Amino acid sequence: MDFQALWLTLRLALSTTLLLMLIALPLARWIASGNGPLRALTQTLVALPLVLPPTVLGYYLLVLLGPLTAPGRMLIRLLGHPLAFSFSGLVVGSVLYSLPFAVQPLIAGFRAVPVGLVETAATLGASPGRVFRSITLPLAKPSLITAAVLAFTHTVGEFGVVLMLGGNIPGATRTLSIALYDQVQDFNYAAANRTAALLLIFSVVALVPIYLRRSSDTRSVLA
Amino acid sequence: MLAAADLQPVMPSLTAAYEHATGIHLNVSFGSSSTLATQIMNGEPADLFLAADFSFPEKVVAANLADTPAPIAYARGALVLWARKDSPLQPLTQNTLHDDHFSRLAIANPDHAPYGRAAVAALTWMKLYDRLKPQLVVAENIAQTAQFVESGNAQLGLISLTLASSEHFQQVGSFVRIPHTAYPEIRQCAVVMRNSPRRAEAHAFLDWLRSPAIQGNLTKYGLEAVK
Repeated sequence: MDFQALWLTLRLALSTTLLLMLIALPLARWIASGNGPLRALTQTLVALPLVLPPTVLGYYLLVLLGPLTAPGRMLIRLLGHPLAFSFSGLVVGSVLYSLPFAVQPLIAGFRAVPVGLVETAATLGASPGRVFRSITLPLAKPSLITAAVLAFTHTVGEFGVVLMLGGNIPGATRTLSIALYDQVQDFNYAAANRTAALLLIFSVVALVPIYLRRSSDTRSVLA
Repeated sequence: MLAAADLQPVMPSLTAAYEHATGIHLNVSFGSSSTLATQIMNGEPADLFLAADFSFPEKVVAANLADTPAPIAYARGALVLWARKDSPLQPLTQNTLHDDHFSRLAIANPDHAPYGRAAVAALTWMKLYDRLKPQLVVAENIAQTAQFVESGNAQLGLISLTLASSEHFQQVGSFVRIPHTAYPEIRQCAVVMRNSPRRAEAHAFLDWLRSPAIQGNLTKYGLEAVK
């Protein structure tokens, strides 16, 4: 059992989830707060990682944010090293890759908050920030949890982006899914089965509580 | 035909020449030798498997899927050190690796890519492996190794001569050969699949590839004749 790869994968998923929640919350709040072509365009861009092959994403990160391009060189100045072959590079790639998995549940959750409650709070003198913190966020808590868990598990299973960008460095970019791929390539099927089982169990354990919670959520319209 | 990634720049010319000579059209898919061997052993239909070494076709033989008792050598590969033309490390010499003025060296995965194995063997022979190990980035196959260097993310790469001497890579960079004595011979071997309905045609192509005329021309593609 490749504990180094397991620990690295968990660290990557945790860092990505935390960063993603920081980005997704204001983004989803803005998208959910209105309509219009700008919001529609933003939602489209956010949804792109769902349809783009992960290898394409990884490839563009490798080439377009590499040392040969101006944005890449800027990034190198910022990070102190190129995006590729580093843990921070993987975090950037994972944030983009799992973005829709965090943003979309949040948008749905925010939109489901009864607008009457929001308006009542506003008429009672609450600022938009106060309304968001005290009314919207607590009522949307299930979708916050869903967003975080999905972002986390999606990153645990990430392969294409890591393959294109990682360089397979033990302790820095050799995640569990890469280790699994290598084990298969080495015809080490016993190890591959163990790694695959671990990933599978992990995903099931993470997802079951989400769906259990959904079924007991009395605020659900269809319950 | 399933062919190793290092043959990607080579096969179009070879298959065109063969088609011109015989009228037979060849369909080629590329991948790392290890991936291709795995796929074949799990039932992928193929007529001919051209690998980048001996060990992967040998696995296919051991799985009783080849129609000969041993893999058939068709070429020898060579390892080179490659860098972009605009790299500050140019001109490349036999001392470039020793001097260590770079942060990342790309190699193919030594566990399952023949050129990766050769790269580690060469680094060990040069007594540089332990020192350079923290600077290594490992790619899935030799094509990705070259891509890491070409995109500028790695400053140097140990890649196949076939890739380095292809038109694209000649335009973008230059190489210096790693001495043959530094790594075990990369003996590229092939097997014809026992269950293929086109075994005769597959053998015909392999015989053509091993004929003196073609073997004499292999250096044009970055390969060397098999003795």
